[in-house]
Amino acid sequence: MQNGNRRALRLGANAGLRLAALVIMLFGVLRSSADPTPLRRNLKALPYKIAWECYVNGNWEICVMNADGSGKVNLTKTPGVNEHYPQISPNGKQIAFSVDNGEGREAVRTLWVMDIHGKHRRQIADHAREPFWSPDSKTLGYLPQEYAPFNVVDFYTKGMMFYDLATGKTTPHPNTEKLRHLYNPGFSPNGKWIVATVHAGMGFSHSIVLIEAHGDRILDLKIPGCRPRLSPDNKHIAWGPEDHELAIAPIDLASDTPTVGTWSLHIKDEKNKIYHINWSPDNRYVAFSRGPDGEGDLSKKGSFQAACEIIGVYAGGWNLYAVSAERTGAIDMEKATEADVTQLTTDGNSNKQPAWFSTRQSGRK
Amino acid sequence: MKHPLQLLAPVVLALLLTGCNPNELGIKVRPQSNTPGSTSGSGNGASVAITTKSGVAMVYVPAGSFTMGSDQGSPEEAPPHKVSVPAFLMDQVPVTNAMFEKAQLPNPSHWQESPKQPVERVRWRDAKQYCNERSRLEGLKPCYDEKTPEWDCDYAANGYRLPTEAEWEYAARGTSDGPYDFGSKDALRQYAWFAENSEAKTHPVGEKRPNSRGLYDMYGNVSVWCEDVYDPKYYATSPVDDPHGPPSPGKDVKRVLRGGNWKVSADLCRATFRQGERTGNTDACFSTDYCGLRCVRRIKPEELAQLQTNKNKG
Repeated sequence: MQNGNRRALRLGANAGLRLAALVIMLFGVLRSSADPTPLRRNLKALPYKIAWECYVNGNWEICVMNADGSGKVNLTKTPGVNEHYPQISPNGKQIAFSVDNGEGREAVRTLWVMDIHGKHRRQIADHAREPFWSPDSKTLGYLPQEYAPFNVVDFYTKGMMFYDLATGKTTPHPNTEKLRHLYNPGFSPNGKWIVATVHAGMGFSHSIVLIEAHGDRILDLKIPGCRPRLSPDNKHIAWGPEDHELAIAPIDLASDTPTVGTWSLHIKDEKNKIYHINWSPDNRYVAFSRGPDGEGDLSKKGSFQAACEIIGVYAGGWNLYAVSAERTGAIDMEKATEADVTQLTTDGNSNKQPAWFSTRQSGRK
Repeated sequence: MKHPLQLLAPVVLALLLTGCNPNELGIKVRPQSNTPGSTSGSGNGASVAITTKSGVAMVYVPAGSFTMGSDQGSPEEAPPHKVSVPAFLMDQVPVTNAMFEKAQLPNPSHWQESPKQPVERVRWRDAKQYCNERSRLEGLKPCYDEKTPEWDCDYAANGYRLPTEAEWEYAARGTSDGPYDFGSKDALRQYAWFAENSEAKTHPVGEKRPNSRGLYDMYGNVSVWCEDVYDPKYYATSPVDDPHGPPSPGKDVKRVLRGGNWKVSADLCRATFRQGERTGNTDACFSTDYCGLRCVRRIKPEELAQLQTNKNKG
């Protein structure tokens, strides 16, 4: 009988412990969903949204969400039209993007502009790629394709053109004849330079360069990697030193010969690729894309085969993330917690090319 | 018992060797000045240099058998084994910057000072795309199906493709059973750009001596992609007739890269030396600046003979 009592007591105690553990666990779950980390909370409070290229129902679209990843909206909703590479004008009112039509070498990439609400589309150029905005939002730069037959490789470009949105006139960069194999261009916010990557062109093997916006100087920034983005305040550069790294460092764009300083933030991910870093309008955050290595998926309509960070290549498992750009030191994505990094998308459906904009400027809610 | 056409083949080839006549494919046939007197294999006739419709110099390599591999080199070169390959045309030189750009493809080369430098930093699939583009330029049927994940090869198509590993070694070894078809390693400087003489860069193609089949830069300058999946143990199970390499494992595939290059020592320029390389297909900026290519295409002696006959009738 005594043994029976002890057994009953033990069972009761175990059940109590289990119940307590369950309550603690539930409390933790509820707390974490109701009480986001400071980083997510800060992102939520920002008057910003992020546009990016998403893949919805077998089609490339441009989506928009709040800076904390909430409120995802398919902005373009154009089944059958493959939009990607959204670039928001500095005044937050327009989106430039590219559209692919066709397959293989017969495909044609065209450039378009629409307002921030996704309306009033107009075509800017064909056989062209990678549009970029002048600081005054009045001119759209772009890179003509090297030859007419399509190739998905990102450095397949020759020359540089500027499209005036008011007049519809296109003028070449003064050094256009010498510009070859550039990609991922962007104006410096002070308007003096265009930062870009060059691969196998202009006498460079592979470099990140500054190209004088209205002249013929070309400066090698002497940093490894690709896809640079300059902060809106002209003070920092963010880029990918290699497939599994992102970095932020100071740059003195006011100088006659700008140079890049010591890296302030170094994001690493041994397992996944990390790409497409881009700045928030207040220079305080960066968003980027992350996902496994791959070479596209031809079963995905409108997708080409190449490294999956390339525009037009389906990137299975890729999502968007945001971190504070004010942090210093290193972030290891394999060990990072919600306190370090906020995951913005979760469907892994080829989420790439984040581009921030201010809802105050754009008027978009 | 041989088919009558097979008996006629050497005669027809002899006829071909006497002239420089464009045929209906636009191929001009001329005698190869450096044709082998004899071959280590059972090649049915001599090598012949031709120019294709799009102006590319190629060498006709007759069908034959040879001993592939070596038991004197690295373990993956063994065992030596008998292999037969059908006749084929092979580019006389590695594909150059100018040739690659003629196909309107983005030239990824580190060195572009000269249009005659070999193209390098070429991903495996980009090399295949070049082959298909050249096939289209000449009205031939492309070998590669660009809609399949690994761009499957139709060996029966008459277009251009990358050589099989066996074709490459057969073409490289020419008349020789040894590691270099020209004899000893001491002569390598006359035939190849490699670490000892390259000054750490590629050089315009065709500046060194050709091998015994009339092929230039087979032992150096850039290594070239082959069609085969790389498997260090493949020689133990390789079929005799026209081996195409093991099946693809699907992920993390390495493909065969053959021939020496500007970066490597003489030992790695040997005709039997094997290496596998990641394809670079998942790399936006493939930086392996010794990976080039050289195209082949299948052609039967009867096809050459028929072309010549048509020309004579015309």
